[in-house]
Amino acid sequence: MTEPLVTFRNVEKRFGDFVAVRNMVLDIHEGEFLAIMGSSGCGKTTTLRMLAGLEAPTAGEIRMAGRLMNDVKPHERDTPLVWQSLALFPFLTARENVEFGLKMRGVGAAERKRRALDWLDRMQIADFAERNVATLSGGQKQRVALARSLVMEPKMLLLDEPLSALDANLVIRMQGVLTKLQKELGITFVYVTHSQSEAFAMADRVVIMSQGDIAQVGSPKDIYRTPANRFVAEFVGRNNILSGKVLGGDAKGMQIATPQGTFTAQTPQTPLAPGQSVSFAVSADLLTLSETAPDTVNKAQATLISEEFIGSLVTLFLEGADGMEFKVQMQERALMDLDLSPGTTLWLGWDAANASILSEG
Amino acid sequence: MSTKHKIDLYALTWRLPIILWQLIFFVGPVVFMIAISFFVVKNYRMTEAFEFVNWQRMLTRGYFWDSYWYTLFIASLSAAIAMMLAFPAAWALAFRASENLRRWAVFLLIIPFFTSYLVRTFSWYVILAESGVLNAMLGYVGLGPFKMLNTHFGTVVGYLTLTLPLAVILQTVTMANIDKTLVEAARNLGCKPLSTIWRVVLPLSKTGFVVTALFCFILAFGDFVAPFYLGGSQEPTLPILILDTTKSGQQWPRAAVVAIMMMLTLFAVAFTAIMLAYRKPKGAR
Amino acid sequence: MHGRGLNIILGVYVALIFTFVFAPIFFSLVFSFNSQRFPTIPLGEFSTEWYAKILSDPDIWQAVRNSVIVSTTTAILATTLGFCTAYTDFRYNFRFKGPYLALILLPPTIPLIIMALAMLAWLSRLGLSGQLWSIIMAHSVLTAPFAMAIIRLRLHQMDPDLEAAAWNLGGTEWQAMRHVIVPFCMPAIISSLCLTAAVSFDEFAVAWFVSGLNKTVPIVILEIVQGNIDPQVNAIGTFVFLTSISLVVAAQVIFISRQIKSHS
Repeated sequence: MTEPLVTFRNVEKRFGDFVAVRNMVLDIHEGEFLAIMGSSGCGKTTTLRMLAGLEAPTAGEIRMAGRLMNDVKPHERDTPLVWQSLALFPFLTARENVEFGLKMRGVGAAERKRRALDWLDRMQIADFAERNVATLSGGQKQRVALARSLVMEPKMLLLDEPLSALDANLVIRMQGVLTKLQKELGITFVYVTHSQSEAFAMADRVVIMSQGDIAQVGSPKDIYRTPANRFVAEFVGRNNILSGKVLGGDAKGMQIATPQGTFTAQTPQTPLAPGQSVSFAVSADLLTLSETAPDTVNKAQATLISEEFIGSLVTLFLEGADGMEFKVQMQERALMDLDLSPGTTLWLGWDAANASILSEG
Repeated sequence: MSTKHKIDLYALTWRLPIILWQLIFFVGPVVFMIAISFFVVKNYRMTEAFEFVNWQRMLTRGYFWDSYWYTLFIASLSAAIAMMLAFPAAWALAFRASENLRRWAVFLLIIPFFTSYLVRTFSWYVILAESGVLNAMLGYVGLGPFKMLNTHFGTVVGYLTLTLPLAVILQTVTMANIDKTLVEAARNLGCKPLSTIWRVVLPLSKTGFVVTALFCFILAFGDFVAPFYLGGSQEPTLPILILDTTKSGQQWPRAAVVAIMMMLTLFAVAFTAIMLAYRKPKGAR
Repeated sequence: MHGRGLNIILGVYVALIFTFVFAPIFFSLVFSFNSQRFPTIPLGEFSTEWYAKILSDPDIWQAVRNSVIVSTTTAILATTLGFCTAYTDFRYNFRFKGPYLALILLPPTIPLIIMALAMLAWLSRLGLSGQLWSIIMAHSVLTAPFAMAIIRLRLHQMDPDLEAAAWNLGGTEWQAMRHVIVPFCMPAIISSLCLTAAVSFDEFAVAWFVSGLNKTVPIVILEIVQGNIDPQVNAIGTFVFLTSISLVVAAQVIFISRQIKSHS
């Protein structure tokens, strides 16, 4: 792979005593759609603001295409940002908003207008070019904000929770618009969000942050199937997390003793000594449910407590021995043959490959 | 964004000129006024010195203290009257009027602040005169004539011209911001209307009311127009004393002494009022 | 509470308060068109005598000219000072910010008569007293806090990302100021110009002390009032009232209408 577009080397950002970003090491590659995800206060927005030059790191180095960027002022960068608040200039029309950056860069009026109209057209809001932005709808404003940044023809576009103010239907539509744009333009998108569905739906790679640290970096599938640690497993949700002690194991699997019985999980890269406490996660949609004992490597009995429908998808909540809770997620069709009255005892089953051991911390 | 020790020209541009301007044209005058209270005047010329002669002169004179206590009294009295007169109106506007009506009322009450106070005072002079409008109206119903000009009454009317609109506005705003559900809750628990005002509305608006009263006091305390034209300045207030000492007597240092005494009094009153306004209610931690 | 009865009583009471507040303004207006030298009721005949008198008085014209110069210059100075302070307060946090703000916000809490004495003493010491400039300098200090308050209020309504968005799009701090902050604050700036002009136009205590022979309109009023009862004052007062009110209403209309526009 070629040199990364952006490198973070041991970057730290403090606000007084508060550490917003701690010892961050991260590469951002050309042309990728990178999502940075986490709950509020995890440092994701601070990371984005450092990319835009709105905050300077207190330690470490940020380089873009090899150039040290720590103290480069915001206006000397090529990192347009789509703001959570959109930050459209309320006293300007849609077209004037889009022209703003070009004007700052000294582009002539005619050229500015042509390029702005071009982008408004591309975003399908050319009809509203001369309207005051205050009179536009949420989705239209969103498109103006995108056009305003993209007209600068940047190598990298920063997006700070740009869809958080939109209603659910529009979010899905805009997700489509964004992924299509990113593919067409072939530029890097760095997308900050607290929403898993947005990150997983659009991004090539996802960075999950927690309290200033990177918890995991990987493709959506990696993160989903093999969460690296307890935080990610819990954050991603839908995971059943079981704890126990290592009995032993080989390259094919680790045996772990839990109050539910002994289970086999995937062997992690760093070996674990027998007797060590350990947790592992099994995704809710990888569990099977049956009335009789299944022939999978791992099986456990549990009592049905309740069920929850979202469309045709059902989540079942069960209680195993020792009060252990299980979540199972499947299509409603797959449940036809089962007796699902609360109190029924059912068998759960899963393969060793679907149980990934979580690193502590 | 820039390193800390580099001079930020942009930030300084917005900060420095004002500091200089205010130092020269605000702090300068006030400090200099304190300084001249120690200067001496000889043959109508002020010379730099550091003597307490002006202080001695003023603070040992009966007429200064007469004037001091009178000013304190009449300004406090008029502030109290303004507060009491304003209250029913403010209460009505806060609790009985629609949002829209209230906004219009407040807007109308702001207008007087932008009309010439002098002209309004002169107008009162004509209205209150022996053969003026008010006495003529009272004459129709067989009353009067009353002597209203050149009395304490005249002074207070003048002060109220200045303070009453302000008192109504600030009281209204204060009470309009009270959580209405608290008032309703009190009523619901069987609290009678008047005792609701006493036990719920007033405690909740204490801070706003104390500040309002303070403003009324400051305005009356510093005004020379009302006591001069409507009160007839028979009992000169401190501002009139400053005016006379400066304009006719050319005794700036002595006027400065009076001014400083006024400022000290205002600070003391303001400090007490603010302590009172923000003191936590009994039982609160 | 006994709704209707109480409402009527309160309504009458509020009306009385408003009568008290507006009576002097009303009578000043009425008497300015009244022929009597000492006005009372019943009214004399309708007359524009007093207006004719002031319009033919060169001293008054000079005073009007002075007042216009003083109030417009004051408005521009005070609004500039107020804008700088409001922006600094909005944008920056620094040590001594409290004293910094106090420095600009404090003057209105000091009685005008005291400021008048202090200004007179200080400006004559600097050799600056007795000119129109003296009044302008004093008035700019007295009115800048109002400008600061109005503009600060406007900045408070601004999306704090707006300025950073301008930098993000390649604007320097100066460009962001020119193309974002100033246009955003424009309604407040215009309101502030109107209001500070109105306050300066009416101020007499400080002006009277420091002006020397350069009389402004309120000083002329003061001198006429000192002399005798003279209904000219009512005519001048009406003129002053109309000027101030137009400024205040203009300020209100501009500020409020812009707010509605940018919030719809």
